[in-house]
Amino acid sequence: MNYVKENRMVTRLGAAFLAIAIILAGAPDLSAQQRGGSDPEHRLPLTWDRWLDHAGMAERMRQMADTWPEFLTLTSLGKSYGGRDLWMMTINNPSTGPEMNKAAMYIEANVHGNEIQGGEICLYTIWYLMENYGRIEEITRLVDERVFYIVPTVNPDGRDYFMHGTGSGSRTGHVPVDSDGDGLFDEDGPDDLNGSGMIEQIRKYVPGEGTHRISHDDPRIMETVPSGETGDWILLGSEGIDNDGDGRVNEDPVGGYDPNRNYGAGWQPNYIQGGSMNYPFELPESRATNDFWMTHPNIAGAQSYHNSGGMILRGPGTAWHGTYPREDIRVYDELGENGERILPYYNYLIIWQGLYTVHGGSIDWTNDGLGAVSFSNELWSGSLYFGSDLLREQQEDPDSPISGQKSRFFFDDFVEFGDNYVEWTPFDHPQFGAVELGGWKKYFGRINPRFTSMEQFHRNMAFTLYHADQMPLMSIGETTVENVGGNVYRVRVDIRNERLIPTITVRARQNNVVRPDLLTVDGNVEVIAAGWVPNKHRPGPTDRIDQDELDRIIIRSGHPGRTTRTIEYLVRGSGSMTVTYSAVKGGTASTTVRLR
Amino acid sequence: MRNERICISKLAAGLIFLTASALALPGSGQAQATSYLDFDQLTRQLRSLVNSSDMARMNSVGTSIEGREIWVVEIGNPSGKPLEERPAVLVIGNLEGDHVVGSALALETIRYLLDGAEDNAEIQTILEEQTVYVFPRVNPDGAEAMFASVKWERSRNARPYDDDNDGRIDEDGPEDLNGDGLITVMRVPNPSGDYMIDTVDARLMKKADPTKGEQGEYTLYWEGTDSDGDGFLNEDGPGGVDLNRNFQHAYPYWQRDAGPHMVSEPESRALMDFVIAHRNIGAILAFGRTDNLVTPPDSRGNVADASILDLPSFADASNAEISEVGVFGAQQPSGFGFFFFRGGRGSGFRGAQPGRDNDPNAGRRPATTFNQADLEYFNAASEAYKSITGIESVGIHRTPEGAFFQYGYFQFGVPSFSTPGWGLPSAEPEEPGEETPGAAEERPEGAARERPPGGARPAGAGARAGGGRAMPQGGRPGGGGVAAGADARVLSALDAAGIDAFVDWTAYTHPTLGEVEIGGFRPYAATNPPAEDLAGLGRDHGEFVARLARMLPRVTIVETEVTAHGGGIYTVAVEIENSGYFPTSLQHGVVSRSVGPTTVQIHVPPEDVITGDAKTSSIRQLNGSHNRERFEWVIRGRDGARVEITALAQKGGTDSATVTLR
Repeated sequence: MNYVKENRMVTRLGAAFLAIAIILAGAPDLSAQQRGGSDPEHRLPLTWDRWLDHAGMAERMRQMADTWPEFLTLTSLGKSYGGRDLWMMTINNPSTGPEMNKAAMYIEANVHGNEIQGGEICLYTIWYLMENYGRIEEITRLVDERVFYIVPTVNPDGRDYFMHGTGSGSRTGHVPVDSDGDGLFDEDGPDDLNGSGMIEQIRKYVPGEGTHRISHDDPRIMETVPSGETGDWILLGSEGIDNDGDGRVNEDPVGGYDPNRNYGAGWQPNYIQGGSMNYPFELPESRATNDFWMTHPNIAGAQSYHNSGGMILRGPGTAWHGTYPREDIRVYDELGENGERILPYYNYLIIWQGLYTVHGGSIDWTNDGLGAVSFSNELWSGSLYFGSDLLREQQEDPDSPISGQKSRFFFDDFVEFGDNYVEWTPFDHPQFGAVELGGWKKYFGRINPRFTSMEQFHRNMAFTLYHADQMPLMSIGETTVENVGGNVYRVRVDIRNERLIPTITVRARQNNVVRPDLLTVDGNVEVIAAGWVPNKHRPGPTDRIDQDELDRIIIRSGHPGRTTRTIEYLVRGSGSMTVTYSAVKGGTASTTVRLR
Repeated sequence: MRNERICISKLAAGLIFLTASALALPGSGQAQATSYLDFDQLTRQLRSLVNSSDMARMNSVGTSIEGREIWVVEIGNPSGKPLEERPAVLVIGNLEGDHVVGSALALETIRYLLDGAEDNAEIQTILEEQTVYVFPRVNPDGAEAMFASVKWERSRNARPYDDDNDGRIDEDGPEDLNGDGLITVMRVPNPSGDYMIDTVDARLMKKADPTKGEQGEYTLYWEGTDSDGDGFLNEDGPGGVDLNRNFQHAYPYWQRDAGPHMVSEPESRALMDFVIAHRNIGAILAFGRTDNLVTPPDSRGNVADASILDLPSFADASNAEISEVGVFGAQQPSGFGFFFFRGGRGSGFRGAQPGRDNDPNAGRRPATTFNQADLEYFNAASEAYKSITGIESVGIHRTPEGAFFQYGYFQFGVPSFSTPGWGLPSAEPEEPGEETPGAAEERPEGAARERPPGGARPAGAGARAGGGRAMPQGGRPGGGGVAAGADARVLSALDAAGIDAFVDWTAYTHPTLGEVEIGGFRPYAATNPPAEDLAGLGRDHGEFVARLARMLPRVTIVETEVTAHGGGIYTVAVEIENSGYFPTSLQHGVVSRSVGPTTVQIHVPPEDVITGDAKTSSIRQLNGSHNRERFEWVIRGRDGARVEITALAQKGGTDSATVTLR
C-alpha cells in the first residue's frame, strides 16, 4: 500500500471529501484543490519507503528529468573508480536567467558508502521542489531565484557495495589500497561464512578466560567484564577467514580510506589523518566534484548529508585553523540555531568541538576554498528512537527496559518486531574452531527506520532550503538623479542584499578565493567621482572611493547580509546611465536612470 | 617577429643536433650539453640518448597546460627483476620554470649513467640491481620563457590566473620598454619612496631606514606599464602556479602562486601520480631553488635560512597594496525587518556547545623538522655531494614551503634532497652574525632582514597573506626564515666569476611615470650558471646520483638453516641483511607510516606454522651497512619438501630462498 496515500486517507478526511468532489466533477481541478488544503495530486507519484541503489536513483532522476524537462537537467560529473556515473541534477528556471547569474545551492550525500539516506533526501528535494513549483508561493520564488546542484551520491561504489553486499566495510570508496603493506591490494576482507547475507560478529566460548559475559538483563547483550574479573566469552571481530594464507584474518579489506578526508583545505597525510590518501582530490570522485565546483563560482551554499547523530555541523574541522571570523560566525549561528528548530533533536555543532577532528573534509574546502557557507548534517539520532522528554528521562534510569544497550533491543522487539537482529548461532571456523556468529543487520543503527523516512527527509530538506533562501540576493532599491550644474549630475542608487549571507564571506576575502563584486557604469557618461553614502537621511560627505577605474569599482569585501548601501556617482554626460552590481554568489542587479 | 625567433632557434637547435650527432660515436655515448635547451631540443636529445642504449626507456606521464609532454626516463638493465621491484632513485629537474639548469643536470645524469653502462663496473651494477627514474623537466611551459625573445624570469607554469583577483586574468604583465630583450626593474625618483641607492654597491637598491636618518628617494616597479589602468603596474602577468610551492608539506595556503590547492596542476599531479605508484623509490634528488644538500638540516632538523635577492622582491612589493583596494568598512544595516525567529541564545556567539566539548589541543601535529635520528644520513649525503661536486655554497635559495623534496621526506618518508645544482664561484659560506668581508661589513641592517619569510613574494603581500592564512600546518614550517638580501654577496661573486649578471641602470622616458631608469639583475643570470659549465656540473651530478643509488638499502637473504626435530617437525631460520647504507626505512618513514615494513614470509600453509615467528613477520627498520635480522619458524613438514622464504623490502628490493626439509 502506498504510504503517502494511506496516510492521507486516514488523516486528511477533509481533503478526501474534496477529492471525491473533484472525481465526481470529472477532470481534476487543481486550483480548487489548492484552495481546499495542502494535499495536491502529484504529477509524478513517487513513494519514499525503499532505499534505492545507484541504478535505482539514476532511474528516478531520469523520470523526474523527463517529467520536468524545462527545469531539470541530468548530467554526470564523471565516473567513480568502479565506473559508475556521479549523477547530478541541476534545477534552474531558464526564464529567470542563466545559471551563472544566480546563487547556487550545492547539495550532496553519501560520501561514506554506508550513509545512504542522504541520497533519498536529495531525490526528495528535487521532487518536492518540482511538485510544488507554481503551487506554494515560497517554493516557486525559491526555484525562480536560485539554482540547485544536487548529487545524491558522491560514492556510488560504496553505496552499491553496502546495499548489494554484506554491509561490511562500506564507509570507504573502492580505489584499492594495500592496507597491510604486503604489495597486494584488498586481498583479505571479511567473508560471509554462513551465507546469511551479512557480516556478523564472532564470539567464542572460553569458560573462565574471556573478556565478555552475557548480560543478566538480556541474553543477547554482550557486556565487558569489570577489571579483575573474567568472563566466559571473547569477541573475535568480524566474520571472515585468512583469505591470502598469510596467517592474518581480514587485514586488507576493500578500499580502506575515508573519502571525506580527501579535500583541499586542512588536508593532512595519513599518519595525522587516517584514510586521507596521498594528496587532496586524488580520488576520482572528489576530483570530479571539485572540477565542477571550481568552474561554478556561483555556488554560495553547500550541504553534505551524512549519518548519524542528529547534528548540524559547521567547520572548522580542526581547532588548529582557529575560529571563523566573527562576521561569518554570526551568519552560521543564525542558520544553525534555526536549523535546530526545524530539526528536533538535532544539535548545531562545530565539527572539531562537538564531533571529532576532521582534516581535509569536504565542507572545510567548500567554506575555505570556495567561499560557500557550508553545513554537514548527521542524519538520524539515537534520541529519535525514544523521542520525548519523558522517555529520554526514563532512559537515564539503568533499571528501565530502554536504558543503555537494552534500548535498541526494546525498539527492535516492540517497534520493528525483531526485524533487525540476528541471534547468535554456532559455526565451525577454519581458524578459530567452534564459534558463534550473530549481531545487528546492516540497516539498523545509523540509518533511520524506514517508517520514519518522510519526516527525516522533509525536515532536513526544509533546513537546506532555508539555508538556500538565505544565500545573498542582490537587488536595486531607490534611485535619485540630481542636476548639480551643466551636464553634471549626482546619481544615487540603493544597492541591497536582502538575505542573511554576504556576497563574500570574510574568510573568502582573506583567502582571496572569490572574485570581488563589481559595480560598473555604462552609458554616455564620465564618472567624475564616486563614494558610499554613510546615511542618506543625514546630509554629510560621502566615503570617497579611491580607485582608478570608477566605472568599474572593485568591492573585495562584498556586500553584507540584510544591508542596503547607497552609492553616489558624480557624472558628466547625457542620456541614460546603467549601474550594475555583479556578485558571483549573489547574482546581478541593474538599473538604468535618465540624466535630466 | 615571433616567427622569426622560432626559425632562428630551430636553426640553432638543428645545428646543435647535427653537432651532437656528429660527435656521437657508436657505443661511446653522446656529446655533452653546451647550451640550455628549449622543449623541442630537450626532447630530441632525450630521445636520441634513450634510443642509443638498451638501458633506458622514455615515457610521457602527462602533458602540461600548453600541451607539452612531461617526460620520464627509466634507466635500468631490462634483464633481471622488473624495474619496479628494484630500489630506485628519483631525479627531478625544472619544477621551477626558471631553474632550467635542473633540466640540464638531469639530462647529463642520464647521459652519465648510459655512458657508464658501457664500461663502468659500478654503474653496470647499479643498472642491474637498481632503477633510476629521471624527470628532466616537470614545468616545460615555464622553461620556454627562457627562450622567448623577451626574457622575463619567472617560476610559474602557464595556468591562466587572476593574480590580483580583480576579475580579469593575466591582463597586466611587464613590457620590455627599452627594447633590450629583458624584463628588468624601473626605479623612479620619488621623494616619498621607500628605497635608496645602496651605499656600497651603487647598482643595488636598499630600503631606507628612517631610524638611521636615511631617506627613501625611489619607488621600484617591474619594467612595464599599467596595461589595465587600475593604478598598479604589472600586477597580473601571464602564468599562474609555481609548481615547487604546490606540494603537500607545509603548503602555503591561499598564496597567489601556490595554486588553488595542493597538487592542483596537471604537471604536479602527473609527478605525484607517478611517485605514489612507484613505492620502490628510496631516495629523491630534486634540482631546484631550494637547498638541503649543500647545507644539510641543522642539529635541530631545520633547513638553512633562505637567501634571496631583494631587488626583485622590492619590485614585487609595489603591488602589495592591491589586495586592500575595494575593502570597505561595515555599513550600517538599514532595515530589513524580517529577522525571523531569531534569538534565543543571547549573544549569538557560541562558546561551549551542547554535547561534547573536545580539547582544541588534542590530536597529533605533523612533523616540521627533520627527525634527529635521520640527520646522519642527510649529513653523509651532503658530504658526498660536496666532495663530488666541489660545491661549498650556493647563491640564492628560497624557503621550501610546498616544495616537492619536502614532500619526499615528510610524507613519502625517504631521503629527499634539493640543490640549486651550482655554486657561486668565489662566495664565502655565510656564518651567522658574520658578513662577507669588505663591502658588506658597512652595510647597515637592511630592509631584507625584517621581511617575513616567503621567498620571492612581495613584502606587503606576505604580511597580508600571513594575516589571512587560515591553514597553518603547525609550528615553524621546516625552517627557512629569510636572511639578509643576497644581492651584494651574489653580485660580487658573479662579478668575480666574470658573469655579466647585472644590467646597468639607463634612463628612459616612461609614458606615465616620466623620467625613470631601467636596470637590475639580468634575467636567469643568478639562477642558472653559464652554459659552458653545464657539462662539468652534469658529470658531477651524474656521479652523485650513482653514489646515491649505492646508498639505497639492499635487502637479501644471507643465511638459511634447517634443523630437524623428528616427527616431521623442523626449525627453519633465515637471516636477512641490508647491505646498503640507508636503513630500510628512515625514522620518519616509520613515524609517518609511509614506508612499509620489511616483510619476511615462509611459504607453508598457516596451520603448519607451530611456533616461532608468525608466518608473515616484519621489521619496521633494518639499518644498512650489513646489519642483519634473524627469523625462525617451527613448522610441520614432510622430509625432503622444499620450502620457499621471501623477503620484501619496499625500498630495498625483494629476495627469496628455498630450503629443503631434512
